[in-house]
Amino acid sequence: MSSRTAKPAMHSAAWRISLWATLAFACGTMLVFVFLHRFVAQDIQRRSDAWLAGEVEVLGDVAERTPKNALYDRVVGEVAELAGKEVPNRLLSQNSSNDSVFFLQTGADGSLSLWVGVGNGTQYLQAIQKTKILPDSPTDVHVDGYRVPFRVASTRIDDGSLIYLGLSERDELRVLRSLRLRFIVLWLVLVLLGFAIVFYTARRMLSHVREITEAASRIGHSELSARVPTTARNDEVGHLAHTLNHMLDRIESSMHQLHTITDTLAHDLRSPLTAIRGKLEASLSATPHGEQADPIVSAIEELDRLTEFLNTSLDVAEGKADALRLSRSQIDLDELLRVMIDLYEPSMSEKGLRIALRSSGSLKINADAALIHRMVANLFDNQIKHLPASCSVTLQLQAQQDSALLVLEDDGPGFSPEVSPHLFEWRVKGPESTGHGLGLAFVDAVVRAHGGTVSASNRPSGGARIVLTLPLSSSSNSKDAPEIGTARTRPGGV
Amino acid sequence: MRLLLVEDEHDIQAFLRHSLVEAGYQVDVAANGKAAEQLALEAAYDILVVDLGLPDQDGISLLLRLRQIGVNAPVLILSARRSTDDRVRGLEQGGDDYLTKPFAMAELLARLRNLLKRNAPAGSEATRLRVLDLELDLLRREATRSGQILQLTPQEFVLLEYLCRNAGRVVTRSMILDKVWGMRIQPDTNVVDVHIYRLRGKVDGKGQQPLIRTLRGVGYVLKDR
Repeated sequence: MSSRTAKPAMHSAAWRISLWATLAFACGTMLVFVFLHRFVAQDIQRRSDAWLAGEVEVLGDVAERTPKNALYDRVVGEVAELAGKEVPNRLLSQNSSNDSVFFLQTGADGSLSLWVGVGNGTQYLQAIQKTKILPDSPTDVHVDGYRVPFRVASTRIDDGSLIYLGLSERDELRVLRSLRLRFIVLWLVLVLLGFAIVFYTARRMLSHVREITEAASRIGHSELSARVPTTARNDEVGHLAHTLNHMLDRIESSMHQLHTITDTLAHDLRSPLTAIRGKLEASLSATPHGEQADPIVSAIEELDRLTEFLNTSLDVAEGKADALRLSRSQIDLDELLRVMIDLYEPSMSEKGLRIALRSSGSLKINADAALIHRMVANLFDNQIKHLPASCSVTLQLQAQQDSALLVLEDDGPGFSPEVSPHLFEWRVKGPESTGHGLGLAFVDAVVRAHGGTVSASNRPSGGARIVLTLPLSSSSNSKDAPEIGTARTRPGGV
Repeated sequence: MRLLLVEDEHDIQAFLRHSLVEAGYQVDVAANGKAAEQLALEAAYDILVVDLGLPDQDGISLLLRLRQIGVNAPVLILSARRSTDDRVRGLEQGGDDYLTKPFAMAELLARLRNLLKRNAPAGSEATRLRVLDLELDLLRREATRSGQILQLTPQEFVLLEYLCRNAGRVVTRSMILDKVWGMRIQPDTNVVDVHIYRLRGKVDGKGQQPLIRTLRGVGYVLKDR
């Protein structure tokens, strides 16, 4: 579980949601800006064209009316210069000379007759001659030495000469550039802010879902009394939490009922068993020897077997309902198996059985040590009871992804076909079995309670094969889990 | 040794009292929590045996109450409940040991002895154990009988050590499994018997007095006289 929560933010749903939302927002605002930009650019163009058309007409008028004497150049030149100072969107340039406007008059033969502007105007004339300029409609002219084109309007006066008024688009473009720049900065800030807000909100929303998921899976594994966190808000997530909690209430109450039934049953049966056992022991100590002792001894043994049967069947009943209570602690499965093999090996070899463990080393699981002990004892007891002499039992233990994989194989007769499909069911046993038929049902109950799996089959080469998996404990998990009791897998000091 | 037995089931109370008196304890009996509290206030007990299922109150709350009124004697909890949660809760709330019903009397007595020993001032740990002509060197992990070294596996040594420490007293199979192998299981097969049989083959040689005795229906005892 914790491995899922530890993944980077970039793999979270919140990240994806905010990414898509931000992308849509960014594209939308960008589109709006593009339209806006075009509108503004056209408007500025239209205004400066109107100004140019007006001015060139005025200049044409002045040029026409001014007598062509020595003062002509000066009069027209000054009018043109004055016009240049009224340029719209003008930014005063650093140097006094005004290079954003020029006035140019050509003679009837096309030669330069009057020039107001920077330089001598020849390169402007060349540029104008290269470009077709229609009267009354301003046109872009690219002049050598200038990056920015000039907007040039022209008019023809009666003496056949042409008057050109040019306005650099520099200021116009500068206005647009600064508009773009401001927009980009604002747009970036907005997009990032929007992303942050959406990401934060989505993350908060989804963190509730994640908390619910984590809590629910924790509840599934350990205690049922816990509930998933609820929020005060009456939204979808709140509904989910409430629904889950209602469901948990019902599960807990039926689980509680089951525990009450099994506990009461255990208690009600155990008290008389204790009394009977006590009385039997008392009468055994009164007659420790002789014929009378035999029935007492076998009665005590039967009683112990009955007690064990009671314990196991209640465990199986709880296990079938996924209600087996565990006191988990960290145990080393490899070490546990070695100790149990050490315990069982003499009995097995006395029956002519061999047992061997192939293990890849220490494997830590977070489990109920007492239940795992009983489960392995159950498996080994089964082998001793059912295998004919001179068979061998092999145990293989290895890690497989997040699980410990335990394979128990023998070369005996295998499971008989009539019980094979029902091996893990309650009270299923072979025709010659003398056990109480709970063995594999108990194994199944224990493995399931620990979140593992178990399967049994016959090997193709003969013999039975039981495969168990138990989830390995990760170090982070073991810290979260309630540590109850201590693992005692090592032969204890006396 | 003065012992307070808190148990409401009449039959169990009767045989426990009988066996405990036989084992040399001076036994007072309370059938419910109130009576137990009263008795604990009146007399100083060396040890208490408390059943968790009492008619008037939960055994755990009785334990807490007893600790509150200043009872420091060790408490052995008896319970017919099966879940390990109860065991943990009992031990956390002031119990010193826990025994599930039904139990063998030998195990109850062994646990009581352990609790009393635990409470006694600790003497220096012995490094040698001697029972008749059997001698165990706990440091060198070596056992000798009449001066002859016994070839024991480490596990067999631990088993023999446990029997020696309880020499003269009965140990049950489940006590052996618990103390020597560290597991609470009830095997369906004779696993413990085979270990004892092997150990006996090494300890009790031909012509020697047999030391390891089987008490049928009860367990084993290492003879000390």
